[in-house]
Amino acid sequence: MKKIIYNIWYVWKKELKAVAADSAVLTFFVALPLFYPVLYTYIYSNEGVFKVPVAVVDRDNSYESRAFIRAWNASSGVDVVARCADMEEARRLLWKKQIYGILEIPADFSHRPINGEQAHVSLYCDMGGLLNYKALLQAASNVAVGMGRIVQLEGLPYASPVRQEQTVAPVQMTEVKLFNPQSGYATFIIPAILILVIQQSLLLGVGTIAGTGRDRNRFRAMLPFNVHYEHPFPVVMGKALAYLPIYAFVAIWIFVVVPGMFNLTRIGEKWDFFLFILPFLLACIFFAMTLSFLCKERETPFLIFVFTSVPLMFISGISWPVTSIPDYWVAFSKVFPSTYGIEGYVKINSLGATFGEVSREFNSLWVLTAFYFLLAYLLYDREIRILKSRRLKVK
Amino acid sequence: MGLITIMKREIRQLAFRRIYLFMIVIAPVLCFLFFADLFKGGVPVNLPVAVVDLDNTSVSRSLTRSLDAFGQTEIVMKAENFTEARKAMQEGKIYGIFLIPAHFQRDASSGKEPVLSFYTNDSYILPGSLIYKDMRLQAALANGAVQRALLQAKGMTEPQLSARLNPVAVDIHPLNNPWLSYAIYLSNILMPAFISMFAMFTLVFSIGEELKRGTACEWMRLSRHSIGVAIAGKGITQLLLFLITGTFCLVLLYRFLHFPLNSGFFPMFLAMFLLIAASQGFALLMVGIFPRNRLALSSCALWAVLSFSISGFTFPVRSMPEPMQWFANLFPMRHYFLLYVDQALNGIPMEYSWSSYVALGIFILLPVLVLSRLKAQFVRNVYLS
Repeated sequence: MKKIIYNIWYVWKKELKAVAADSAVLTFFVALPLFYPVLYTYIYSNEGVFKVPVAVVDRDNSYESRAFIRAWNASSGVDVVARCADMEEARRLLWKKQIYGILEIPADFSHRPINGEQAHVSLYCDMGGLLNYKALLQAASNVAVGMGRIVQLEGLPYASPVRQEQTVAPVQMTEVKLFNPQSGYATFIIPAILILVIQQSLLLGVGTIAGTGRDRNRFRAMLPFNVHYEHPFPVVMGKALAYLPIYAFVAIWIFVVVPGMFNLTRIGEKWDFFLFILPFLLACIFFAMTLSFLCKERETPFLIFVFTSVPLMFISGISWPVTSIPDYWVAFSKVFPSTYGIEGYVKINSLGATFGEVSREFNSLWVLTAFYFLLAYLLYDREIRILKSRRLKVK
Repeated sequence: MGLITIMKREIRQLAFRRIYLFMIVIAPVLCFLFFADLFKGGVPVNLPVAVVDLDNTSVSRSLTRSLDAFGQTEIVMKAENFTEARKAMQEGKIYGIFLIPAHFQRDASSGKEPVLSFYTNDSYILPGSLIYKDMRLQAALANGAVQRALLQAKGMTEPQLSARLNPVAVDIHPLNNPWLSYAIYLSNILMPAFISMFAMFTLVFSIGEELKRGTACEWMRLSRHSIGVAIAGKGITQLLLFLITGTFCLVLLYRFLHFPLNSGFFPMFLAMFLLIAASQGFALLMVGIFPRNRLALSSCALWAVLSFSISGFTFPVRSMPEPMQWFANLFPMRHYFLLYVDQALNGIPMEYSWSSYVALGIFILLPVLVLSRLKAQFVRNVYLS
């Protein structure tokens, strides 16, 4: 027992020294988690799309059409930068990317309601970005509903004001965005990015340690050959205990300091969150140790891990609704700590779920922790045996 | 002749190790197929919502039914009260709540203006906004149904009615993506971004291997000590291989998935060709700048990952902070995205896109700046080994 603890301590010390001495590993463990979250949050810090430049083609040129344009231009999402004589001119501006939408008001716009007919406006949107389209459309429909209400009221000249209001809108509606009320882009995407940064930086860092070991070890093995590394348990534990404190600091930076810097939503209980993040960190650490066996060289982690961030983001259920992901991909996503990490973190942090409400994710992360610990244990066990046999051959 | 020798040598080296097969073919193609499969519906449908029906009359039940009939919404839960529904939302089981108040039917018919409420969760921005759209439409329809009953009683005809219910209509023309398909707008950029990433990695890694294994000496000797030949032989070989993967990507997007290709094939093929070459140009610049191969790989990884955000296909570059708007131009994927919008999506004349084509061309020329440094690196390796 004493020997095991001593060996764990020995491996732990060696591992910390190795991390501190290797600038590549430090880049992944420290620089990347420090820098990436700040950069990403900065990119999305405006949260939404404002003042999308557009052109109008007003063929009616009446009091009503001008009122429509004025109201539209007053919306936060819209900025009328050009008034064009015809669609050809407007289309050219669209091609030059000076505008992203065209509003065309036909010549009969102000006459039709007088005759009891429906008035139309046409909105043309460049579909290179869906957020621009959404901003323009929402502003235009709000203006149309508002003007429509006025037309409806004018159609009921003899009714009392109360009766008018009832006829125009017999049912009232309220819309509430319960969470992320301003539909902020950063508020939505950053939590997922933060979780992924932790998992991916561990994959890269631990992979580099393993690859470097193989590169430099004369038996092309991931372990030095000495008495402290004879059994897999102290090796796995020693390494994990070396990474854990580093990532405890990283987690504080990523989940407390960065969101504070940019004033991101944090409605969850802090301690619920820290309790939840522990199995996530452990699962990531053992996951990274397991996958590090794929790294045959110091550079390999870049080549095989970096690209996975994007698919992982999409199967986590944050960018693409989980109900629209085919079942086999959902099942596949369950082997990655990031999937549960993102789910649980978003629920606690953005939806204010209590600890009990994320117990499914919490327990799953412990299951993953145990599973990857076992895998890492078995792989190191095999590695130690291979190392022994190679050494015997040399002798 | 040196060039052909180097190219032959490069093919042998690439064929020799599995990691190259992984980067040039397996990983990008897996990503293509993954996203093609994930987005196969185009737009998410049947998003789960809850209804809290406190009225429970024929009118409220018919409202519920017609909301369920919308393609993008599926009622998976009928909650007794709001708290229950909110809990389900916090647990991520539903993306929206539609609340019908008590006495809804009675109040609506007696002119007491009952209030329908709908709640969405924009922490999941895509389902949140899709459901918001459906619920808003549903509430407007509810309004219309009551109004319709009131007005029909006054003897109005159908066209008069629609003019009365909705006097000002917005006709929407989403240019070249009338289906509002998310698949189109995501896949067109996600897939090429992987090619750009792996083109950078492969070039930097393969040069690193030459240095690490001490074969840079042989490489330079076979190039007759011309750095231009050495780099061109390696780069062109990899470019041609990636062009096969790239063409597969274009064929998948425009032929099998039938995404809009309003420019014809050539402008996008040219864009793909330039994207790969530009990524390689950027990669070589990094190899030249950083003495250590790992740092060059790191910066390429940074560029590749940032490309997914900064190319602006999900969040417009125009809405980013100003330094980022400028910074975005340093990414080949940004220019590829602009070319895609102009050419494949909108099919506008190529002369409007010249600046993006030229920008990619400039990336290809970047290695010229560091040729002497590159040569020094390779030659130093010769002496060391």
